[in-house]
Amino acid sequence: MAEFTVDCLGEACPVPLMKVQKQMEKMAVGDVLIAQIDHSCAMKNIPEWARNNGHNVEIEEVDDGEWEIVIEKTK
Amino acid sequence: MEKKTEQFDVVIIGGGAAGLTAAIYCGRARLKTLVIEKALVGGLATYTNEIENYPGFPEGATGLGLMELFHKQAKKFGVKFKLTDVRGVQLEGDDKVVETFRTDYHCKSVIIASGGKPRLTGAPNEEKFLYDKGISFCATCDAAANTDKTVMVIGSGDAAIEEGMFLTKFASRVIVSVMHEEGKMDCNEIAKEEALANPKMEFIWNTTVAEFRGDEERLRSVALKNVKTGEIMDVPVDTCFMFIGYVPNTEIFKGIIDMTRAGYVITNEKMETNVPGVFSAGDVRDKFLKQVATAVGDGAIAGYAAEKYIAESEIFENQIMDKTMPGIVYIWNAVVQESRDLLKEVETFEEKHAGQVKVSKVDVYKSNGIAQRLGIDTVPAAAAVKDGKVAGILTEGISAESLEKLLGL
Repeated sequence: MAEFTVDCLGEACPVPLMKVQKQMEKMAVGDVLIAQIDHSCAMKNIPEWARNNGHNVEIEEVDDGEWEIVIEKTK
Repeated sequence: MEKKTEQFDVVIIGGGAAGLTAAIYCGRARLKTLVIEKALVGGLATYTNEIENYPGFPEGATGLGLMELFHKQAKKFGVKFKLTDVRGVQLEGDDKVVETFRTDYHCKSVIIASGGKPRLTGAPNEEKFLYDKGISFCATCDAAANTDKTVMVIGSGDAAIEEGMFLTKFASRVIVSVMHEEGKMDCNEIAKEEALANPKMEFIWNTTVAEFRGDEERLRSVALKNVKTGEIMDVPVDTCFMFIGYVPNTEIFKGIIDMTRAGYVITNEKMETNVPGVFSAGDVRDKFLKQVATAVGDGAIAGYAAEKYIAESEIFENQIMDKTMPGIVYIWNAVVQESRDLLKEVETFEEKHAGQVKVSKVDVYKSNGIAQRLGIDTVPAAAAVKDGKVAGILTEGISAESLEKLLGL
């Protein structure tokens, strides 16, 4: 169960989602990805995409307007 | 992974306008309150660029900005937020559970404010191209990626037309598919006039989606069907934005909570659902007008109702159903003469058995929650309680003597 981080701070949609998709492809089932984002629209399309693909998603608000999206790869 | 357990007074499912308002009321009533939101706090309102009709903001507000203020206010009252989706619920009984993938949240009351999600057309291949593959529900999210490209908008309501106009700032062509005949749109008149005058907007009337077409990678075109002639027209696009309304987010409550056929939660005017201690607010409810302003009203009622429900539960368990002493519960209505007259009889009884029988007086004029829990729907009435259980109910001939008899003294 490895843990990976992608830094998307300062990046606007759809860049964060694309970065997350690329990283997820390289990961194994059970691995966890933490996407750091500060663009609110990524809070919509990243969790939506991840859940639509059956992954587990939880989000932490680390600061005002800054979030970490935690995605556990399930398949 | 081991599941964690946490305890709250109230768990609110959904962090939109309704959920946040309920949270403000619960937090301010000093209840330990949790809001669970699956994405961005603020809900559907954050998808809207401009909110012009929410009172108190004469200059208008952005959806995101307005919801940030709601969020800040809820946090001020100590409300906790958890950003994840709810996997399941156990709503029956006093100990209710709301489950996420890592934690079980136990609570006394649940407020369902889960709103809706975008409605789909149901046309072939739709599922294949959702979100990142060419079908989008969020212009704010995906407009920039469509700079100088051709996009399609499905729908003609306020959201479709306003978001469509926002898209013209990025895309070179915005093609709008409208199911009505030429010139007829579901949006407001101002938006309609502006849209018709916008040179980047094109309208294809009398059409619905017949099929989404593309390859392994993404959507390439949308096949539109003319509803009058049946003719199919293939329109190449880079992204298709859909704004054809919402469906309620209520799958996990099916079979537990009463709903309409379309899946909206049925409540009364106190926002109570069919399950005691479970309330509902906002767009997920079956109601006439779905707006931030009405969500706020629902949220306030649901928050207040949850607080009253919890307070009543405590009184009911600790005072009414007290196991240490036999008790008489007098259910009365302060505004009814007959109820007031009988109060003297009850007080005579109370004095006579002071120290041996606990007498509680419940005025239904304020709230009928406790009467309901006792299964009493008429006033005046009296219930005898022995060993924490109802031993008998009297609805006629209440006197000091009949109360003694009811309790077996």
